[in-house]
Amino acid sequence: MSPMLTIAKRELRSYFDSAIAYVVISLSLLALGALFFMFRGGFWQVDRATMQAMFDYLPVGLLPLVVPVVTMRLLAEEKRSGTLEMLITLPVKDSDVILGKYFGALALVLLIVSSTLAYPLAMFKIWKLGVLDWGPVFAGYLGLVLLSAAAVALGLLVSAIAESQMIALFVTILLLVGLYFVGDMATLMTGSASAVIEAVSFRARSQDFGRGLVSTRDVVFFLSVTALALAVAFRALERRKWA
Amino acid sequence: MATDVMIQANSLSKRFGDVRALESVSFEVQQGEVVGFLGPNGAGKSTTMRILTCFLAPTSGSATVKGFDVFDDPLQVRRSIGYLPQRAPLYTDMTVWDYLRFASEVRGLDPSTFKSRMKKVVDVCGLAQSLGKDIGTLSHGYRQRVGLGQALIHDPQILILDEPTSDLDPNEKAEVLRYIAEIGRDRTILLSTHNLAEVEAVCARAIIVSKGRVVADGGLDDIRGKSGGVRYVVEIDEKNAQPGKKAPSAREAQDALAALPGARSVKELPTDEKLHRFEIVGTKDGDLRADLFRLAVERGWLLLGLRRDAQSLDAVFRDLTRKDERLDRGRSDEPDADDDEDDEDDDDRSSDDDEDDEDDDDDRSSDDDDERKEKQ
Ligand SMILES: Nc1ncnc2c1ncn2[C@@H]1O[C@H](COP(=O)(O)OP(=O)(O)OP(=O)(O)O)[C@@H](O)[C@H]1O
Ligand SMILES: [Mg+2]
Repeated sequence: MSPMLTIAKRELRSYFDSAIAYVVISLSLLALGALFFMFRGGFWQVDRATMQAMFDYLPVGLLPLVVPVVTMRLLAEEKRSGTLEMLITLPVKDSDVILGKYFGALALVLLIVSSTLAYPLAMFKIWKLGVLDWGPVFAGYLGLVLLSAAAVALGLLVSAIAESQMIALFVTILLLVGLYFVGDMATLMTGSASAVIEAVSFRARSQDFGRGLVSTRDVVFFLSVTALALAVAFRALERRKWA
Repeated sequence: MATDVMIQANSLSKRFGDVRALESVSFEVQQGEVVGFLGPNGAGKSTTMRILTCFLAPTSGSATVKGFDVFDDPLQVRRSIGYLPQRAPLYTDMTVWDYLRFASEVRGLDPSTFKSRMKKVVDVCGLAQSLGKDIGTLSHGYRQRVGLGQALIHDPQILILDEPTSDLDPNEKAEVLRYIAEIGRDRTILLSTHNLAEVEAVCARAIIVSKGRVVADGGLDDIRGKSGGVRYVVEIDEKNAQPGKKAPSAREAQDALAALPGARSVKELPTDEKLHRFEIVGTKDGDLRADLFRLAVERGWLLLGLRRDAQSLDAVFRDLTRKDERLDRGRSDEPDADDDEDDEDDDDRSSDDDEDDEDDDDDRSSDDDDERKEKQ
């Protein structure tokens, strides 16, 4: 196994060893369930059989809560406790460390995302509550995967720079909440400012997926954010050498 | 015959902001050498080791390990070494077994090699009872054993160990040192420590650094020879004397000993009520024993003990690093005058730190010390 995969595997396992994984998964499922069936009359108010509400609300739980909790410790905790020295002096490239950590954390987030599949499956396959058009559901999940990929990369970047995991947690929450809701400010502005804000808004970019619309520009946007954040995280890790 | 240079440091310098952690550190370690890397706190030992393991980059200078440049070829360098960082920082949420397997997987060991190496590592590091325990629940000594196990798991050609025995109990320390000596016959080992007895046990050579500079590098005998003194320990009965004579007070005895020609410094060592014990440093080629005996007879003192050693590595170490140490303690850099007041002063302070014990003879031999510094 490549060092990168070994690191990713260790990372993923340690979430389960430290119970973070169980807590985050069960809380997200509970919250989502409550949201579904109670909030604003929930799913039952919608006259058509659709999962669009879920794709509108999932990111609201994912970005401010799940991703920051999952990414905060990735590098910040290793730097604080000194284990980074042990890890990096094994024969691993700095990029193995960054990517291994990244995929370990992303795997957990995607596990949580995919566990929400239980809802559409239960409602439309088991209880047969209606006939669901699965196309938008798949598009919606593609959107969630891309959104998670970008958010986890940003969380990792913050963790690579932050002094402690608590700082990483708060900064990541602020950053992701900001990027998600920045679109709401666009309505307050005009002209190019509004266009720029619209362009970086995670919400504007991810909403269409839930409606079944997959646009290349949105896909490219999330992938570029991911790549850029990982590249900066890599630089941040290398910077320790020159401290 | 060209021996293989396994570790080479070429005028390594490292700055952290304004702190000059290393200034032009150069040394070589050959294959099959076990080298002690010594120096006071903050001397730059860990920094040097971190550069050699490619964790830090030097501000200037270069280094190679097994011929690979630490800057250009970090992967090759790390493959050929086993490294134990100071205080063995490990993942506390993993079990010992999982951690060692993780390290071996990252190193690309196949499962059967891992199993067979584990036997050796478990034996040397004494981990048989702890394999299933979470590292977070282990005592510090056991964590250090795990860290050491991690450094040995792939049977590396080169070992870089930063204070590997600092938290170990005497049994484990002996076992680890025995293993280091055993594998050190064909491996290359650089180990830092504050325990000089350990160095004398396993190393043929030592490098002493102080404030980021190499102040001595050579065989242990050469280094001992450097300080140019011989140490005598004299014990005199405090209560009794020859019939008709009086047992000396500590002050009388000390003054008389200091008056001997060839005694460079005299210092009282702590004892119980029964006797006075003094440490005398004399010149390298002289022998004071006969004079000491004659003095005792003449004054009617009862001489209870007399021992002569070459200067210990300990004393040489303090001698070489004395100047920086004094600065650290906020004392002036000027050598103190030879007076007793000063002795008592130091002894008071030394209660928490026995390293102060020999401070005084250090002061007195400061002249040659300064000369040495200038030569560097
Ligand atoms: N990351 C860092 N940032 C700033 N200064 C540092 C850093 N690491 C080390 N230093 C400084 O570099 C100097 C050398 O430190 P180093 O840890 O190498 O000492 P050492 O010889 O290992 O000491 P010890 O015996 O206490 O382990 C010290 O003055 C230390 O304060
Ligand atoms: Mg150190």
